[in-house]
Amino acid sequence: MAHLYRLSIVLSFILTVSPSLSTNTEGNALHALRSRLSDPTNVLQSWDPTLVNPCTWFHVTCDSSNHVTRLDLGNSNISGTLGPELGELRHLKYLELYRNDIGGKIPKELGNMKNLVSMDIYGNRFEGEIPKSFAMLKSLRFLRLNNNKLSGSIPRELTTLKDLKVFDVSNNDLCGTIPVDGPFASFPMESFENNKLNGPELKGLVPYDFGC
Amino acid sequence: MLYSLNAKREILLVGNSLPLTFRANFWLVGMARISYRLLPLPIFVLVVSLLFYQSAGLNSEGQYLLDIKSRIGDTYNHLSNWNPNDSTPCGWKGVDCTSDYNPVVWCLDLSSMNLSGSLSPSLGGLVHLTLLNLSFNALSQNIPGEIGSCSSLELLYLNNNLFEGQLPVELARLSCLTALNIANNRISGPFPDQIGNLSSLSLLIAYSNNITGPLPASLGNLKRLRTFRAGQNLISGSLPSEIGGCESLEYLGLAQNQLSGEIPKEIGMLQNLTDLILLSNQISGPIPMELSNCTYLRTLALYDNKLVGPIPKELGNLECLKRLYLYRNKLNGTIPREIGNLSSALEIDFSENELTGEIPIELKNIAGLSLLYIFENKLTGVIPVELTTLENLTKLDLSANYLTGTIPVGFQHLKHLIMLQLFGNSLSGVIPQGLGVYGKLWVVDLSNNHLTGRIPRHLCRNENLILLNMGSNNLTGYIPSGVQHCKPLVQLHLAENGLAGSFPSDLCKLANLSSLELDQNTFTGPIPPEIGQCHALQRLHLSGNYFTGELPKEIGKLSQLVFFNVSTNSLTGVIPAEIFSCRMLQRLDLTRNHFVGALPGEIGDLSQLEILKLSENQLSENIPVEVGKLSRLTELQMGGNSFSGDIPAELGGISSLQIALNLSYNNLTGPIPAELGNLVLLEFLLLNDNHLSGEIPGAFDKLSSLLGCNFSNNDLTGPLPSLPLFQKTSISSFLGNKGLCGGPLGNCNESPQLSSHPSDTKGTSVRLGKIIAIISAVIGGISLILIIVIIHFMRRPVDMVAPLQDTPPSSLVSDIYFSPKDGFTFQDLVVATENFDDSFILGRGACGTVYKAVMRCGRIIAVKKLASNREGNTIDNSFQYAYTMKVTEKCDIYSYGVVLLELLTGRAPVQPLDQGGDLVSWVRSYIQAHSLSPGMLDERINLQDQNTIPHMITAMKIALLCTSMSAP
Repeated sequence: MAHLYRLSIVLSFILTVSPSLSTNTEGNALHALRSRLSDPTNVLQSWDPTLVNPCTWFHVTCDSSNHVTRLDLGNSNISGTLGPELGELRHLKYLELYRNDIGGKIPKELGNMKNLVSMDIYGNRFEGEIPKSFAMLKSLRFLRLNNNKLSGSIPRELTTLKDLKVFDVSNNDLCGTIPVDGPFASFPMESFENNKLNGPELKGLVPYDFGC
Repeated sequence: MLYSLNAKREILLVGNSLPLTFRANFWLVGMARISYRLLPLPIFVLVVSLLFYQSAGLNSEGQYLLDIKSRIGDTYNHLSNWNPNDSTPCGWKGVDCTSDYNPVVWCLDLSSMNLSGSLSPSLGGLVHLTLLNLSFNALSQNIPGEIGSCSSLELLYLNNNLFEGQLPVELARLSCLTALNIANNRISGPFPDQIGNLSSLSLLIAYSNNITGPLPASLGNLKRLRTFRAGQNLISGSLPSEIGGCESLEYLGLAQNQLSGEIPKEIGMLQNLTDLILLSNQISGPIPMELSNCTYLRTLALYDNKLVGPIPKELGNLECLKRLYLYRNKLNGTIPREIGNLSSALEIDFSENELTGEIPIELKNIAGLSLLYIFENKLTGVIPVELTTLENLTKLDLSANYLTGTIPVGFQHLKHLIMLQLFGNSLSGVIPQGLGVYGKLWVVDLSNNHLTGRIPRHLCRNENLILLNMGSNNLTGYIPSGVQHCKPLVQLHLAENGLAGSFPSDLCKLANLSSLELDQNTFTGPIPPEIGQCHALQRLHLSGNYFTGELPKEIGKLSQLVFFNVSTNSLTGVIPAEIFSCRMLQRLDLTRNHFVGALPGEIGDLSQLEILKLSENQLSENIPVEVGKLSRLTELQMGGNSFSGDIPAELGGISSLQIALNLSYNNLTGPIPAELGNLVLLEFLLLNDNHLSGEIPGAFDKLSSLLGCNFSNNDLTGPLPSLPLFQKTSISSFLGNKGLCGGPLGNCNESPQLSSHPSDTKGTSVRLGKIIAIISAVIGGISLILIIVIIHFMRRPVDMVAPLQDTPPSSLVSDIYFSPKDGFTFQDLVVATENFDDSFILGRGACGTVYKAVMRCGRIIAVKKLASNREGNTIDNSFQYAYTMKVTEKCDIYSYGVVLLELLTGRAPVQPLDQGGDLVSWVRSYIQAHSLSPGMLDERINLQDQNTIPHMITAMKIALLCTSMSAP
C-alpha cells in the first residue's frame, strides 16, 4: 500500500538526480527551501525531492564528497521565504540568492553554515533584524544584505568576523551606530548609506544610539 | 517524460489519510439520546427572536436558521428552499427534524456546499442539535462561543473551512460531544484547559491548524478518547505524562509540531494504542522501553526528532508492529537482535542515525519484511547472507555505512526486489551477475564501493530499471547490451571505473534517458552523430576519456541539454556552431581538448549559461563580444588558448561573474578595458601571459571582492590602482611587464626598475634572453679574467667581508652576512629597518627582498636581503656573491654583471636612493645622460693607457647585458 502511494509520488516528479555519498540532510534542506519558494520560471524544476543527493540538481554545486558548496539562484524570479532548514547546508560556501523577491526574516539558523564564504541575498524583501548568529560564520568574506527592508541595529558580534572583506547593508532600514572594530574599520561609507544609521560609534563615550 | 526515482521514502502523511466518515455507531447513539427538554435560552436568542418577529409563521428554530443563513454566502443557492414562510424548517435542505408531534431540529448538515461567510451566534438557539456538520466549506472568522449552548451536540464537524481565532472555551460545556473535528482550518491559540471536561469525547481531530501552546494536562481525563490527531500545528512543550490516562487511546498523532522534552514513560499505559505518530518534532531523550507494553502497536513513527540512546531491545516484543520508523534521530548503539522478533513487520527504517555494529542476522526471521532501510549509519561488518532469505523484500538500502565484504549472491534470487541501494560502503568483489534475472529491478545504486568485474547483463531484463549508478568502483569491460537497450532507463551513471569501448550510441535510442555519466573511464573513438537522438538528455558527462575526432554537429539537437562536459579528451576540429542551439545549457566544459578555430559569436545565445570553460585548447581569433551577453555567467575560463585581439569591453557587463575570469596564456593585445572594473562580485581575475598594454585601469579599485589576480608577463605600464588587494598581492603577479609601479612594486617616481624589471624566467622571450646572456658571459669570461687580474693590481684592496661576530638580535637575521662598507654596520641596518620589518619593504624579487633603510646620517639606502635560507643570505647580494662564491643558479648572471660594474666603476653596489638605489640603475642613468663614456669608470685607475679604456668599455657592455637579462 505504502509502495503504491510512493509510486504515485514518484511519477509526479521529473527525474534528474542520482543518490550518492552526501547526506540526505542536504537534499532535504534544499527541498524544504524549494517548498517555500514560488518559482514561476521553473528554475527549481530539477530539484527532485525524492532522492538523496542534490548534486545534479541545477544551480547546485557540490564538492568531491558530494556536499553542497554553492547555491546559485541569483536573478531567478523566485519569491517566498527562507526557512531554518537552510542552515543544514553545513558545507555551503556560496549562498547566492540576490535580486529575487524573497521576503520574511533571515533565519538565524543560517549562522550554522560554518563554511560559508559568501552570502549574497541583496536585492530582495528581507525584513527584521540581521541575525547575531552570523557572527558564527567564521569563514565569511562577503556579506551583501543591501537593498532589503532590514531593521534594527548592526550586530556588534559581526566585528569578530576577521575575514570579512565586503559588508554591504546599504538601502535598508537599519538604525543605531556603525561598528568601527575589526573589519568594520575598512568598510567604505557607501556600504551603509540609505539607512537610519547614526554614523560610526564613538568608542569610549556614552553610547548615543537613538531610536534603536 | 514525467519520471522520477523514489530512492528514499516520502513523509508518512498523517495529516490527511484518514477518511472522514460518519461512524454509524455515533449516529445511532445520537438518535437514542434525543432530548425534548427545553433549555433556558440565552439573551441573544431572545434578541434574534424579536428581530424575526414579523415572520410569525416560522418557529424560533427556523428563525435562528434564517439568521445563520443571512450571514452565509451561498453562491450556488443550496439554501434556496429555506423559505421564511414555512412554519418549520424541517423541510429545508440540510435540516433534519425529529419525527414526533413537536418536531425540533436535531441535525444540520451543510457540508460541501461552497458556503462562505461567518457562523452566526444564533447557532446557540438550536439546543436540540445533536449533529452539526459544516465541513468542506469556506466559512471563516471565529467559532462563536454560543455553540456551547447546543448542549445536545454529539457530533461536531467544522473541518476544512477557514475558521480562525481560538477555540471557544464554551466548547468544553458540550458534555455529550463524542466527535470533534476542526482539522484544516486556521485556528490559533492553545487547546483550552477545560477540554478535559469533554468526558464523552472519543474522536478529537485538529490537524493542520495554527494551534499553539502546550497540550493541557486535562487531556488525561478523556477516558473515552480513542483518536487524537493534532499534527501540523505549532504545539510546543512536552507530551504530558497525563496522556497515560487516556486509557482508550488507539491513535495518537502529533506529527509536525514543536514538541520537545522526552516521551513520557506513561505512554506505556496506553494498552490499546495502535498508532503512535510523533514524527518531525524536537523530542529528545531516549525511546522509553515502556512502549513495549503497548502490545497492539502497529505503527511507531518517531522519525525526525532528536532521540538519543539505543533502540530498546524490548521493542522486539511488539508482535503486531508493522511499521517501525526511527530514522533521522541521533540513536546510537547496535541494532538489537530482538528486532528480529517483530514477526509482523513490513517496513523497518533506522536510517540517518549513529548506529554502530553489525546488521543482526536475526532480521531474517521477519518473513514479511518488505522494506529495510538502514542507510547513513556507522554500521560495520558484512551484509548478512541471511538477508537473502527475506523473500518479500522489495526495497533494501544500506548505503553510506562502513560495510565490507561482498554483495551476497542470493540477492539475485529475490523476486520482489525492486530497489537495491548499497552505495558509499567498502564493498568489494564481483556484483552478482544474475541480478535482475528475477526481480523487476527499478533502482540500483552500488556506487562508491570497491566492486570489481563486470556490470551484470540482466539488470534490465524485466524492463523496469530507471536508475543505474555504479560510479566510482573498479569495474571493467563494456556496458552490456542489456543495459544499452534498457527502455525505461532515465539515469545511467558509470563514472570513475575502468570501463572501455566506444561511445554506447544505442543508449540514444532510449527515449527517457536524461542523464548519462561516463566520465573518468577509458572509452575511445568518436562521439557519434547518433548522440543527436538522445532527445531527453539533460546531463552528459564524458570527461576524462579518450574520445577523439570532431564533436558532431548533431549535438545541437539536444534541446534539453543543461550540463555538457567533454573536458580532457582528444577532440579535434572546430566547436560546431550547432552546439549553440542547446539553449538550455547552464554548464559547458570543453577544457583540455584540441579544439581549433574561432569561438562563434552564437555563444551569446546560451542565455542560461552559468559556467563556460574552454581552457587549454587551440582556439584562436577574437573573443566574441557576444560573450558579454551571458548574463548569468559565474565563471569564464578561456586560458591557454590562442585568442587574440582586444579583450571585449562587454565582458565588464557580466555582473554575475564571481568564481573567475581567466583569459591568461593567450595572445590578447590592447588595453585592459576599464569596464572590467564593474565586476564587483569577481574573486579571481587572471590576465597574465598575454600582450596587454597600457595601464591597469583605475576603475579596478572597485573590484572589492577580488581575492586573487595575475597581470604578469604583459606589456603593462603605469601605477597599480589603489585596491588594497594589489598592495598585498605577491609581486610575481605583476612581473614581466614594461613598467608597472606602485604598491608592492615600489614607488612610481623613485625606483621603478627595482621591481618591475622583467625577471620571469618562464616566458619564452626571457628564456631567449637568458641564452644570449650565457653566451655573452662565456665570450666575455676570458677577457674578464685578464681584466680582473689587471684591475686587481691597480685598485686598492677591498675589505674582506667578515661574518657577523656579534650575537644576532633574533633568529630572523641570524645568518645574515654584512659588509661594514660605507661606514655603517649590520647593527645599523637592523635598527634602520626595524629588524627588516615588512613596512620597510620596497620590493621583492626572485632572489630576495629590498628594504628601505634611513641611516643615522640621513642617507637613504636600499638594502637587499636574500631570500634563500641559511646559505648566503647577505645584505648585498652581488657584492657578497663575489667574495663568498655562493652563487645560485638564478642570480648568477645578474650578479656577475654587478661585480663587473663594481670593478669598472669603483663604486659600491648600494647607491643612494636619489641616484637610483643601486649601481645598475646608476650606470644606466649615467649612460642615458652621457652615453657609454669613460667618465663613469673608476677615477683611480690610470686611464691614460689608450688600450685600457676600450677593454673596460667592452667589459662594461658585458656587464650591462648581464644585468639587463635577469634581475633578481
